[in-house]
Formats: sequence, C-alpha cells, structure tokens
Amino acid sequence: MFIKDFSAISPQLTFSEEFVNGDYKIHVNNTYTVFEPSYAETIPSALLRRMGKAVRMGIGAALPLIKRNEKLDGIVIGTANGGLENCINFLNQIIDYEEGTLTPTHFVQSTPNALAGQIALMSSNTGYNVTHVNGALAFENALLDAMMFLEVRDKKSSLLLGAVEEISNYNYNIDQLAGRYKVAKVSNDKLIQTKSNGSVCGEGATMFVVSNDSANALAEIIDLKQLNFPKESDVKNKLDQFLSDNGLTYAAIDLLVLGTNGDIQFDCWYDTVKSFFPLSTDAIYYKNLIGEYRTSSAFAVYLATQLLKGELQNHPGIEGQLTKIPKTILIYNQFEGVQHSLILLKDVEL
Amino acid sequence: MNREEVKNEFKAHLITYLNLLDITIEQIKDNEPLFEGDLGLDSIDSVELIVLLDREYGIKIKNPTEGRQILIDVDTIVDYIILNRTK
Amino acid sequence: MHKVFVTGMGAISSIGSTIDEQLTALRQGQCGIKKARFFESRYAETLLFGEVPFSDEELLELNGVTNQNEFTRTTILALHAFKEAIGQAGIADLLKSDRTAFISSSTVGGMCYTDELYSDANLKGTPSNYVKAYEGSDHTVRITKMFEIGGIIDTINTACSSSANAIYLGARLIQSGRADRVIVGGSDSIAKYTVNGFNALMILSDRACKPFDENRNGLSLGEGAAYLVLESESACLNKPRIAELTGFGNSNDAFHPSTTSDTAIGPVLAMEYALKMTGLKPELIDYINAHGTGTINNDITETVALNTVFSKVPPYNSTKSYTGHTLAAAGSLEAIFALLSLRYNELYPSLRCETPIREQGSKPISAFSKKELQHVMSNSFGFGGNCTSLIFSKCS
Repeated sequence: MFIKDFSAISPQLTFSEEFVNGDYKIHVNNTYTVFEPSYAETIPSALLRRMGKAVRMGIGAALPLIKRNEKLDGIVIGTANGGLENCINFLNQIIDYEEGTLTPTHFVQSTPNALAGQIALMSSNTGYNVTHVNGALAFENALLDAMMFLEVRDKKSSLLLGAVEEISNYNYNIDQLAGRYKVAKVSNDKLIQTKSNGSVCGEGATMFVVSNDSANALAEIIDLKQLNFPKESDVKNKLDQFLSDNGLTYAAIDLLVLGTNGDIQFDCWYDTVKSFFPLSTDAIYYKNLIGEYRTSSAFAVYLATQLLKGELQNHPGIEGQLTKIPKTILIYNQFEGVQHSLILLKDVEL
Repeated sequence: MNREEVKNEFKAHLITYLNLLDITIEQIKDNEPLFEGDLGLDSIDSVELIVLLDREYGIKIKNPTEGRQILIDVDTIVDYIILNRTK
Repeated sequence: MHKVFVTGMGAISSIGSTIDEQLTALRQGQCGIKKARFFESRYAETLLFGEVPFSDEELLELNGVTNQNEFTRTTILALHAFKEAIGQAGIADLLKSDRTAFISSSTVGGMCYTDELYSDANLKGTPSNYVKAYEGSDHTVRITKMFEIGGIIDTINTACSSSANAIYLGARLIQSGRADRVIVGGSDSIAKYTVNGFNALMILSDRACKPFDENRNGLSLGEGAAYLVLESESACLNKPRIAELTGFGNSNDAFHPSTTSDTAIGPVLAMEYALKMTGLKPELIDYINAHGTGTINNDITETVALNTVFSKVPPYNSTKSYTGHTLAAAGSLEAIFALLSLRYNELYPSLRCETPIREQGSKPISAFSKKELQHVMSNSFGFGGNCTSLIFSKCS
C-alpha cells in the first residue's frame, strides 16, 4: 500500500512548510496544542459553527487531500475518543439541567464517527466508511482496514486514511486522575529524557491518501502488527517473526521511530526493542514534537514519510540518532505496556 | 422590554445558541425565512431553537412538527415569545 | 479468498439472556420494551426501555466475576454474550492463538456511568473506580486481557451500524487469511448519555416503538450485547456450521449527520454491494431484518431503499420492536435474529405495526409463519451516514 499524499495539523507547524524547513516549536505546558490554520476559506461557516476541535482539524487536514486526489473510494479513520469536548459538554448539560431540554448538536458531534461522516458529506463520498476506536491501536486498525480494502481492489483504488485526537480539559482531567500525566511541567525539548511518572498530553489530525498505485508515491507501507498485553519476553519472538515474514533482518532496518514519551514506567519497552537492533541502527523519537495521545502513531507515519522523502535531515526537532536518509523504517509504539504496534515502511523504488 | 428589545435579545440568543460565526444582530433580517434563507439553518437547528425558547423564555414546544409552525422568521418568533413567555 | 462461516452465537437483550430464551421470545412475540427497573434517570418514569432485566451486581454474579470493580455494565454485557458465543463454537481453548481475532464495538462504552464520568471529567471529587474505563474500547481491552486473546483486536464505532461493521471487518480478516476465527459483535448499555442525546434530537417515542407504522413517533432505546464466531472453512471442518456469511456491503449516505437522505443512497448502495458480493439476484433474498428504528425518517427512507433495490420486497421485520434499539449491539444482535430465522425456517412478526406506511405500499411481517429460507439479509444504518448490509446463506 502506497502513501500518495499526506497532511498533518499538529503541535508543530506541519500544515505549512515551516516544520519541514526547520521550525521547531517549543511547548512549555503539559498540553501540547495544535497550530490550527484558518478554516474560513475551506469550511463553509454553516458547517464550521457546529464542529468541535477534533472534527474541525480532521476536516482541515483532510480537505486539501480531497481536493488534490479525486475519486477516493472511501474514508477510514482511527480515533480513540473523537470529539471528547463536545461529549463532556453534552454530559455537563445533562447534569446541570437535570436531564431537561438539551441541545442535540454536542451529542451528534461527539460520536467518534462524526468526522468520517462529515468528510463523506462534504466530499459527497458514498464509498466505504469506517471509524476505528480501539484506544492506542485505533490508527493501526484503520491502517489494517485500509490495507485489506485495497488488496482486493484494482490498482487505481484509493482511500482517505487518517487519525485524530483532541485535547479537552476533560480528557486531560480524566487521564490526570488516572496518573497518566507528569505533575511537573516539562518543555517538549526535554520530554524524552525526563525519567518521571506519566507523560504529557498531545493532539493532532494526520491524514493520508493511500493507494495500490506506486506512481508518484511518497512511501510504501509494507506491513503492520499489533500486540496486546505481551510479556516482555514475548516481544523478541514477535519481532523476529514480523521481520522474517517480511524477509528482513534486524540489520536491514535503517531507522527506528520510537514512541518514547518520558514516562519512566513504560519507556523500558522502547529500550528493550531498541536493544535487539545493532548499535549502529539509527533511532529517533517523535513525541517530543507532538506529545502523547492514543493515535500518535499516525504522526509517526507522517514523520517516516517525510524522512523517506529525504526531508528533516539535521532538523532541530529530530531527537536521537539520524545519520542518513533511511530506506526502511520501523515504527514501534506502545501504550502503558498494553497495546503495542509495529509499522514497517519503505521508500518507493523508482 | 419593548418589542424591539425582545427582538434584539432573541437575535443575540440565536447567534449564541447556533454559534453563528461572523454574523451580527444587524445582519439577521426580521422577515427572512430562517430555514431557507442565508443563515443556512437545518433540522438540528430547529431543535436548538426549541431549547432556546425553553431555557430563555420558558416556552415549551413538544416536537419539531409543532416547532415548524412557529419557527418561521424572527418576526413570527418574537410575536410568539411576547404572547407565550413564562419568564 | 477464504469462505466465512458462522459457528457460534451469543446474545443478551431485554428479551433473554441466552440465544434460546430470545428465540422463544421471538416465536411468542414477547416484547422486552417496558418500564425500566434499574436505569436511573428522570426518563425512567416517562419512557419505556428494552432493559436487560438484571442489575449490574446480578450480571457480575451471573458471569462469575468478582472484585472486578472496573467492569462497567457495557463490559459485563459483552462478557456475558462473548462467553455464550465461544461456548457454542467450542473455541475456548483456541483464544490464545494468534490466529484468533476479536472485533468488538460500542458507542457509549464506559460512559454508561454518566454520573461518575461527570465527576471525574470535572474533577468533582476523588477518582471513581471507572477513571480508566470510559473509552469505547475499554470492554474490548478487558475481555482481551481476561481471555488472553492472541490475535488481532479492534473496536469499531460507526454509531448504530457498529457491530455490523465489526462482522464485516472480521469476515475480511478470515477472507484474507489473517485469522482462522474471529469473535465479532458489540455491546451497549442504556445510559443517561444516549437517552438524553436521542431525546434532544426528539426521536424517542413516548411508548414502545412502532417500526414501519404510519403513526410511529420515534425509537425506543434498548441495551444488550451480541457476538458471533466466524471461522474459515478449514478451521470448522468438523463442527456444525450455522450459516455462511456470503455478502456484506458498506456505504456512506453522505447527506446529514443524523438523518438519512430521501433517496436513501447509502442504504441502497450497502444492500447492492452486499448482493453483488454474493452474486445473487435480489429476488433470491428470502427475508430481511430491517434497521427499522421507528423514527419518522428511518422507516420511510428504508422503505424507499427496499423498493429501489427489490422489485418485489421480500418479507421483512424490525426486531427492534422486541428489543428496542440496542445501538452498537444492534447489528450483531439482529444478524443473530436473522440467523435464527434462517436456521429454523421461521419468520417472526414485526410488533405493533397497525397501519403500515401508506406511501410505499409494502408492509412488514405481521404474523409468525414457517417458510423455507436460503438467504437472509440484515441492515444497519447509523448516524454519520454509516450504512452496512449483511447477507447470510444456508450452508450447502
């Protein structure tokens, strides 16, 4: 499956050329919020007025792709929580007005499939349409769904594939209560090295056009694998299997993109995986750019695509070791040791 | 409160409840149909308007069908508010 | 491409806590939509619900689960139906295999505990027991952990068509050789969140819903969970097969966030894609389990869709007239009801349709009858325009 086009609205200036050109935004609070473009030109105000942030930035990231890539055969989205702000706004109305007369917009906008539905509506796309909400594997499941969709269709078939997650006070509160965020403030350029409990809260919308057609493609997604509740001792076997299924050795991976997020309780998983590879293997991080959120691996795919294109060499925001333009990239991400994923990408041979 | 004041207050509520970005009180015409005019309102908005009338004026409208006979344009709604408000 | 067979079913709803109990209710026309006993809300007094007739504590006990104080009602319902399904298929020993997948779905998920969520999200007190249990995927993750399921895990949310899409995705895992067996379905419990949401949209009926009736005035909310076990041909060589999943179609209506278009393009395409996959002519469909919510909008547009796809509309009913709308569980619950019809060659009446919708000249099944069935269809349409249609066929 080939990535033909992509866009990202993120806590970096990825929606314009600035990020690729070397800009690195520093976030000093533990919520890394996105830089949103103005939507006035692209989203009709009659629609925009109802959209919560997740839907708005999802549409914002998707629209340029829809414009540049006609006749998409469907829309597949991954989001753990969708429009949570709308969701809790509605919930608060329920309690505050004691289940009296309530406004329905928050309810309609809060369903995680509202984004895929809205994109379909705005682009009159009556094709395949699914939303995956499987926590920290929601994007990976959307990716798998897209792969299965395309592999039984002709070469010209293509899909919009993406992921979105928004920061709201509420999800921050809930995850804070669950002990998922750091107590002390950490600026993002120090995040990876912070060895303390919890991480920081990020958000973003990342969109791709994927197709069977390699012409003018930016990258190829070769394979992916998910692991649920693995024992630490299982990981090596699973990784061995994954690489050999794809005819690769550890040394054949040029670059590891790791989801390390500064949480001392779980970063050991990344160190373990990294230790299986030769010392000379390049490895970089991505959560210093965007923070932690359930579908952050979509941004890792965005980053990998840029790297395969030859971009981001010597970028100030790229932490870790990057000595060359990679041809084969393995992304490894996990959430609290429960949900793990591997995504394998390659450059496109001309 | 005279009719003009009720009208402007209602228009302000309309903007807030429907989150009508970039629209001012002056831009909402008194006799333009709300649902086929420039505002681009639809069926969900009609339910939002029913909530508005309940919360701000204590007017209970049971369902969208009943609502459609009242929610025609600003003039009609303001007349209805003046006659039926309970707060 | 591998064929996909159904080898197990499990379900719990307001009309029974086992498949057998629900079969009896369907045969006897027993409706589960009543005054709620356990749901706490001001609407418990004024509206009727398809409530599963057990408290959370009773459901926990029924499932032999103790000290699991992070299990929400959604999770317990899911667990209950999951166990029946894997029991019938005899796959309990195979769950740890990496060839066993689990695809579930929910819309309300752990948000069924609306008051706890309100407190946690607004930092109103000490964290509740459910602070890590609100996500839609929570029930999936907990069941995966409990049974150490080894293969691909997913949770889908396409609103009211969620579990139909779980079935769709599970089938493709088998077709493509990524799994030998998949447990597919969904779970949702009645919650203040959804009751108030549908009430705000003014599409809840003040009595038991009347699908496809001229005087219908909205849906009745229900709850439940339903799972099917799908297996590849080679995985189920030596066991009874309930049916083959021969067709599935998915489309988006691309019209409105919460209503279906007048031409019903999404429902039409979903049915047509499913039919195309089976290679069957429309007239070979013997029965349709309709989405049939009982709202003004759904039932008229679905009738339009049926008349568009079928020159002669096959017998159809809405089993939501028994269970209420079980949201994410509806797709798999109704697939199971369609499979019961197929298996026993029985058609169950659609309840309370006294005056069929005039404009479209067709009416749902009005009385129990026996009929030889070969191919049955189940439709699910949801908010966000998400439409899915499934076709099951008798095994040859």
